[in-house]
Amino acid sequence: MPCPRGCCMLFQLEGVTKTYGHITALNNLSVSVPSGAIGLLGPNGSGKTTMIRTLLGLISVDRGSGEVLGMDFRRRQLDIRRQVGFAPEDECLFPRVVGVEFVSYAGELVGMSSKDAMQRAHEVLDYVELGEARYRMVDTYSTGMKQRLKLASAIVHDPKLLILDEPTNGMDPAGREEVLQLSRDLAHNKGMSLLFSSHLLPDVEAVCEYVVVLGAGKVLTQGNIQQLKQVHKQCFEVRLKAEMGPFAHRLAALGCRTEMRDDVLLVQVPDERSPQMLWETAAQQREQIRYLRPQRSTLEEVFLKAVEQP
Amino acid sequence: MPILDQGYQHWTGTLSGHAWRWLAITRHGVRIGMKGRFLRIAIMVSWLPAIILALALSMWGFVERKSAYVMPVVDFLVEAGLLDRRVAADPIYYRVDVWTICYDNFFVTELWLSMILIAMVGPSLISQDLRFNALPLYFSRPLRRIDYFVGKLGIIATFVGMVTVIPALIAYVLGLLFSLDITIVRDTFPLLLSCIAYGVVISVSAGLFMLALSSLSRNSRYIALSWIVICCVGFLVAFFLNEEDQSQRERRRARTPARAVSVQPQSPEQAQKDRLAAEAYQKALEDAQAEEVRANKTNWRWLVSYADNLTRVGQQLLGTEACWEKLSELRSPNDRERFMLNHAGPRYPWYWSAAVLAGIFGLSVCILNFRVKSLDRLR
Repeated sequence: MPCPRGCCMLFQLEGVTKTYGHITALNNLSVSVPSGAIGLLGPNGSGKTTMIRTLLGLISVDRGSGEVLGMDFRRRQLDIRRQVGFAPEDECLFPRVVGVEFVSYAGELVGMSSKDAMQRAHEVLDYVELGEARYRMVDTYSTGMKQRLKLASAIVHDPKLLILDEPTNGMDPAGREEVLQLSRDLAHNKGMSLLFSSHLLPDVEAVCEYVVVLGAGKVLTQGNIQQLKQVHKQCFEVRLKAEMGPFAHRLAALGCRTEMRDDVLLVQVPDERSPQMLWETAAQQREQIRYLRPQRSTLEEVFLKAVEQP
Repeated sequence: MPILDQGYQHWTGTLSGHAWRWLAITRHGVRIGMKGRFLRIAIMVSWLPAIILALALSMWGFVERKSAYVMPVVDFLVEAGLLDRRVAADPIYYRVDVWTICYDNFFVTELWLSMILIAMVGPSLISQDLRFNALPLYFSRPLRRIDYFVGKLGIIATFVGMVTVIPALIAYVLGLLFSLDITIVRDTFPLLLSCIAYGVVISVSAGLFMLALSSLSRNSRYIALSWIVICCVGFLVAFFLNEEDQSQRERRRARTPARAVSVQPQSPEQAQKDRLAAEAYQKALEDAQAEEVRANKTNWRWLVSYADNLTRVGQQLLGTEACWEKLSELRSPNDRERFMLNHAGPRYPWYWSAAVLAGIFGLSVCILNFRVKSLDRLR
């Protein structure tokens, strides 16, 4: 169903509060997120899972309102869940079935006919590269296969929004890369919006272009990842042809702050000076600058900064 | 490597509405259940009483038509005292009663076979979902808890229906076909509805009870064991309580005065004494029988047995007692109560059993509500 206001927001929550006894899981949470691949970051207990359950209409909130895909999450829970695919964090399986039955059953539960669900199950199992294992009992699958199976069962009905809760938990690097690649492909090439919840920053960075950081049930920061990873105007990453030690000492004597990080020298130029001083200093020392670019924050820095906010 | 890898394709089909979503769970559960060889064998064994029922109803059709094929058998049964001559002479008048008693016997047998089937199908229904943590997979889809419960209940109802209602319907149709009398529909249609209603009562009551048990543990073996214990131990306890009650009554009866034996020649005084003693003896016998009838009508001991509660409610639905009463009218007035005691089974008020079943129903709902929670909670 198209958004009634013609907006392009994937979901928006307004002042949502949810408490469990004396624990406040969501604290007057207001967030508005556009379509696309969205990363949901936050430390343990920050309210990520509660927010996902709120979006799916699985919990009744104490206060607040909101919409998911243009539908009120308090009134149209079942309609929302028809258009959303969800792969939970925990290991969960339908018992006593083979892979293709698992996915087909997931489709039938959403409302697909048996025939459509079975046909579609074969397609999505091929897509997640479980085609060879489709007739194996699911309780014999490895952790990575189970994650891909959950992904297949979440996309069997071709949802508009796919929610993955910690999809790479407990996976080996190869399996993790496969899941990330599938998530990236769905979000970027197949036009499916994605909400990717994880505490692994590289995973979020590899898949998403937008991030929401939660802490203590509130939004700490949100925005486009490239924009959040701001450019520091007076900080530079420098690499020289020769040894960087003497160059660093010279810059320090001129009032710059320097720090070696891997094979790169991080230089913070004083506010009153221009980056030109780096070229001048190198020329004075007869050094060749091979690499010079303004420093950007990493997502980790963005996250830590957001979390450390009072 | 697939020959043609199409990658991810969008799906353009339509999704059905919410009303029948539980059916997906039922269909899936039945499909999984039918994979079990032992279950398939158990179902086939459970059809044997249905074959006997169908044969009995078909035979009665022949009896009504006075068919030459069955008359020698009827004559033999009459001669052997197994069939009353008046019933054989006017079988159409006793049609409903015979059909009802046939169905009653069928359901008594099938009830126990259903209990076995439920013990095979039911224990894993929720316990396995708890064990494999499948509830988030269900409840994150457009499914309410009530859909989940109804879907699971539907699995048990399907298997119970396969050995109760469906064979009863088939036997009914066969009975109609062999009677070649359209009035049989008018006479027996309420019985058919009663059979369906009784099948629903068994399915809902036993199904919900089993689901509640199934939600109590993640190990389905314990559930199956509990179910067997509840059914068998309940029955045995009720049986021994009744035996004890019966033997107490026997002991009381033994204390009644023995009939005096007179010796020839007797004086008029002695004859008078003998007559009084005979009257006292006869009265004691009548009192004992009256007490037995009273005890049978207030015998609460069968309430301990879950299956017997279902049987009692079933008898009420089918109207078995009224049929036996009609047949008892063929006996002498003195023999009627004894006939009823021997054939009609326990005659305590049916609503006692209904109350027990309602209590179990309520308890089952509470357990399910408590054990199968929505995702509106912390881990």
